Amino acid sequence: MTVAFQHLRPVLAFFIGQRRNALLGGALLAAVTVLAGVALLGLSGWFITATAIAGLSSATALAFDVFAPSAGIRLLALGRTASRYGERLVTHDVTLRLLAGLRERLFRGWAGPGAAHQLLRRPARLLFRLTADIDALDSLYLRVLVPMAAALGTAAVVALVLALLHPALGFGAGAWLLLAGLGLPILAAHRALAPARRRAHASEALLARAIDLVAGQTELVMAGRLAAQCAALAGADRRQAESDDALNRIETGVGIGFGLASAVLLSGTLLAVTALAEAGRIGAPAAALGVLVALAALEPFAGLRRGALELGRTLFAARRIGPRLAPTEAAPVSAPPSIPGVAAWLDGVVVRHDGAARSSLTGISLSLQVAETVAIVGPSGAGKSTLLSVIAGEIGLTAGHVEALPATLLTQRSELFQDSLRDNLRLADPAANDAQLMAALASAGLRADVEALPLGLETRLGENGLGLSGGQARRLTLARLVLRDTPLWLLDEPTEGLDGATARDVMARLRDCAQRRCVVIATHVRREAEAADRLIVMEHGQIVATARRGEAGFAVVLAGLRPD
Amino acid sequence: MTVAAESLPAEIAGDRGSRVAMLMQTAGALFWLPQAGLIAFIIGGIAEGRGFREALLPAAGVLALGVVRTTFEALGARKAFLAARASLSRRRGHAVAALAAGSPLDRARPASGQAASVVTEQAEALVSYLARFGPARFKAMVVPLVILGAVLPLSWVAALVLLLAAPLIPIFMALIGWRAKAASEAQLAETGNLNGFLLDRLRGLATIRALGAVDATALRLRANAEDLRARTMTVLRIAFLSSAVLELFSALGVALAAVYVGFHLLDALPFGAWGEKLSLGEGLFILLLAPAFFEPLRELSAVWHDRAAGQAAIAALDDVSRGGLALVGGAQADREGGAVASGAVDLRIEGLRFCHAGSGEAVLDGFDLRVAAGEHVAILGPSGSGKTTLLALVAGLAPADNGEISVGGTRLGPESAAGLRRRMAWIGQRPHLFAATLAGNISLGRPEADAQGVTEALRIVALDGLAAARPGAAIGEGGAGLSGGEGLRLALARGAANPRAGLILADEPTAHLDAGTARAITERLLAFAAGRTLVVATHDPVLAARMDRVIRLDLERLEGAA
Repeated sequence: MTVAFQHLRPVLAFFIGQRRNALLGGALLAAVTVLAGVALLGLSGWFITATAIAGLSSATALAFDVFAPSAGIRLLALGRTASRYGERLVTHDVTLRLLAGLRERLFRGWAGPGAAHQLLRRPARLLFRLTADIDALDSLYLRVLVPMAAALGTAAVVALVLALLHPALGFGAGAWLLLAGLGLPILAAHRALAPARRRAHASEALLARAIDLVAGQTELVMAGRLAAQCAALAGADRRQAESDDALNRIETGVGIGFGLASAVLLSGTLLAVTALAEAGRIGAPAAALGVLVALAALEPFAGLRRGALELGRTLFAARRIGPRLAPTEAAPVSAPPSIPGVAAWLDGVVVRHDGAARSSLTGISLSLQVAETVAIVGPSGAGKSTLLSVIAGEIGLTAGHVEALPATLLTQRSELFQDSLRDNLRLADPAANDAQLMAALASAGLRADVEALPLGLETRLGENGLGLSGGQARRLTLARLVLRDTPLWLLDEPTEGLDGATARDVMARLRDCAQRRCVVIATHVRREAEAADRLIVMEHGQIVATARRGEAGFAVVLAGLRPD
Repeated sequence: MTVAAESLPAEIAGDRGSRVAMLMQTAGALFWLPQAGLIAFIIGGIAEGRGFREALLPAAGVLALGVVRTTFEALGARKAFLAARASLSRRRGHAVAALAAGSPLDRARPASGQAASVVTEQAEALVSYLARFGPARFKAMVVPLVILGAVLPLSWVAALVLLLAAPLIPIFMALIGWRAKAASEAQLAETGNLNGFLLDRLRGLATIRALGAVDATALRLRANAEDLRARTMTVLRIAFLSSAVLELFSALGVALAAVYVGFHLLDALPFGAWGEKLSLGEGLFILLLAPAFFEPLRELSAVWHDRAAGQAAIAALDDVSRGGLALVGGAQADREGGAVASGAVDLRIEGLRFCHAGSGEAVLDGFDLRVAAGEHVAILGPSGSGKTTLLALVAGLAPADNGEISVGGTRLGPESAAGLRRRMAWIGQRPHLFAATLAGNISLGRPEADAQGVTEALRIVALDGLAAARPGAAIGEGGAGLSGGEGLRLALARGAANPRAGLILADEPTAHLDAGTARAITERLLAFAAGRTLVVATHDPVLAARMDRVIRLDLERLEGAA
């Protein structure tokens, strides 16, 4: 348990670092709200009892000061409403602020070079898990910290009030509140750890199987496995239902526990105040005050119930996300080449992915010149994409040395984002104005298409650039390259998925835009390699041949590549 | 109250367990009345000078009633939960069955990610709605009335105070309901958008890093979240204000009752108790009941959030469960049948017509085709000419509008579809990668695709090296872990793992492959297709040239007639 709580530390530290005062303010208001409720009931009980006793004779009735207590009751009623309103506003505002900060910090954490590469190798399902984790952390403050503050504040005040009647009563009630009020949620949290984890796993399995069912339906129906997949989904739902049931059983237990603890405290206080009154140490009004205060004392602790049950999930999330909350280290910038005229220089580069049986790259030595176009060819899995990532400084080396000019890497699935065309372009150059954007679009051959759109640059793109044809999407990424304006372009299969005519047009535009840049193209199709000054053939992570334009081998290598 | 008339879903409203749960929780709340009576009696006794001994029995009663009350409430809530959770499983099952039976050619069906999220995450909102809303509403209708009935005989003024504070509450309830719904919907949608934004950017992290846009994107994310906060707070300020009014009335109701009783006991307000004077015990009893009078109303307003989310979940599930264009034979027809013959089968298509719903132009119309058993045929045609649709219709993935398809002399129909599919091998254009190992992705759990068959299939498509390099490793969804070429080889292996297949349907099996791999795949495909019938839709002239016959889909009438 204590080990599990270690994982919360970076999250709590981040929360406190972000908004210490607002966090405290929200918790304080929550405590005030609960206390005002307790005080309202206690004061009312005292008032009624005192007036009843004073009302027995008309002399005392006239002498009784009614205005202070009745004003107090009204004040507490109004104050409770106001502090409740304030509490809800402050706590929600803080939660939303934390949410904003958390997401920004996490994005930066994942955007670091090592983490980014790790993240990209994880399947999309894990990305969904990630948002679920963030949501679980969001609830830490509202579900755990705020109710905790309110409950502890109440326990302290209730114990103090009862201690005024008799120290032992105050001490006993305080101890009971802490024991039952905190003990039950802690016990529940502990017992809920395993089912909460099982539930998280079952929910992930459910989602993965649902995605497999809908996205893989054709494969399943053709394999005669559709009914089996439905059964697998039902199985995951059953596992989720079982853990739901286990959690609910714990919740029910806690509910009964609180009810019992409250009944014990209430009847115990009743007996204690009766005994104290009999001994003449307190009057009936004080006894009424004590009982009514005890009546509401456990209520705020019940607010911890939900947070306690979800704590397992929260800890789980904190363990996975916590490491990304640390302030990010600056990205290592690969050194620029020392020799003028060289765009990139690699010496004895070896890359082996974690856990892989063989190296992705073995002993790569290579020099790329400014204003040179190089095509890296070879079968899939030869290490072409890895080589581009190495030059771009995206992945670390197992051995060897790399120097390179600032580079822009256009990956196989170069992403367009769910955003306006303008903001998709401005990723490459945030300072660019519309005229510059249109100029870049013009050189990528997309200007006319964009001008024909009713919303122009305001047009929103859907998931994976939905709304654009394959050719348009490629031209858009080309326009981004132009805006980015680095001396080294690294392109991974830049015309994949395009028909021949479109692909040739994109390649021609690419050449026009490249001008004095060094361009490296990883490819297995002829149309992309044709324009190169030099061909580099890779197999099994090694360079097996190179051929310059004009050399005999050049045409041979080209001929071995795939036509459209 | 308008909510009083609103009906819960039939399976909850008509469920005996749910009704018992509702009654138990309400009864639990009502046990507070005798408990409060005993508390008031004990304190009243203190004022009258009764001693400790006389308080023992009533205090034991307070304890016992407390135990009964909490047990009723907790067990009632548990019963309600069980009914609601069962309802979730049932509805989920219906939606899954509908998704499974729907045709992949149905353009109106929800996007796969969205449907999956509706069935899994969104559907969960159902439980707290069904478990909590019904009991809370019933309690809100019964408990305040009973309390009023208990207070009225003691003091009509106190009853009037409660009654006056309460009727205002429904008005605010409506307000709150409306506002809270708007607020929760807005907030949910916006938080969803924010998560969507983050996911979208994380997926494209390579691009963002390549463009040096990490900082700009992080700031954008921050600005979006801040914007969300500002807008949500505007809504919440009003939503919370209306719930604050509810709080205010309940607090004022308690305060006014207390003040009235106090002044009454001082003889300052000597009226209101039917000509009598209240005793201290009676006064305290009224005070103790006052908060309980408002509590169910506050509880009802608290579950309003659940109600909005739950109703949205029900609507989304109903939407997914609505049947559209269905698979031929539906989803349940693929149970294990008897022995299936192996060997090549012929294919006959006559007068085939298919038109997407809402689209005026038919993709295929009056299409005829005869493929002899063991013949290899390439279907050529530009994108959108219906190659993929044709293969899908042969596989029974959607019913044809008109015409007839026969495989091996058996006409494709609801009864025969599942059996015929077991004689087909499907090699899709964009194979889905399941969350499983490579071997699991090939066998797909088919009994006929055993370990040996999978190994053989891996060898046929030359993926055995990859399988050996990463044994037991899961290949993720969305293609992470496999290149495009490897994915297509996987699809081929899936087909090859069915040794009984007599008809192979392949959709662009060599697209996006390098020349060497395309050549290799062509050879593997032909080797697998030897002695089987093969229909392949393709752009690849090299592959088409290896077939016995080429059919151009844009000229299909001429070719088909030949």
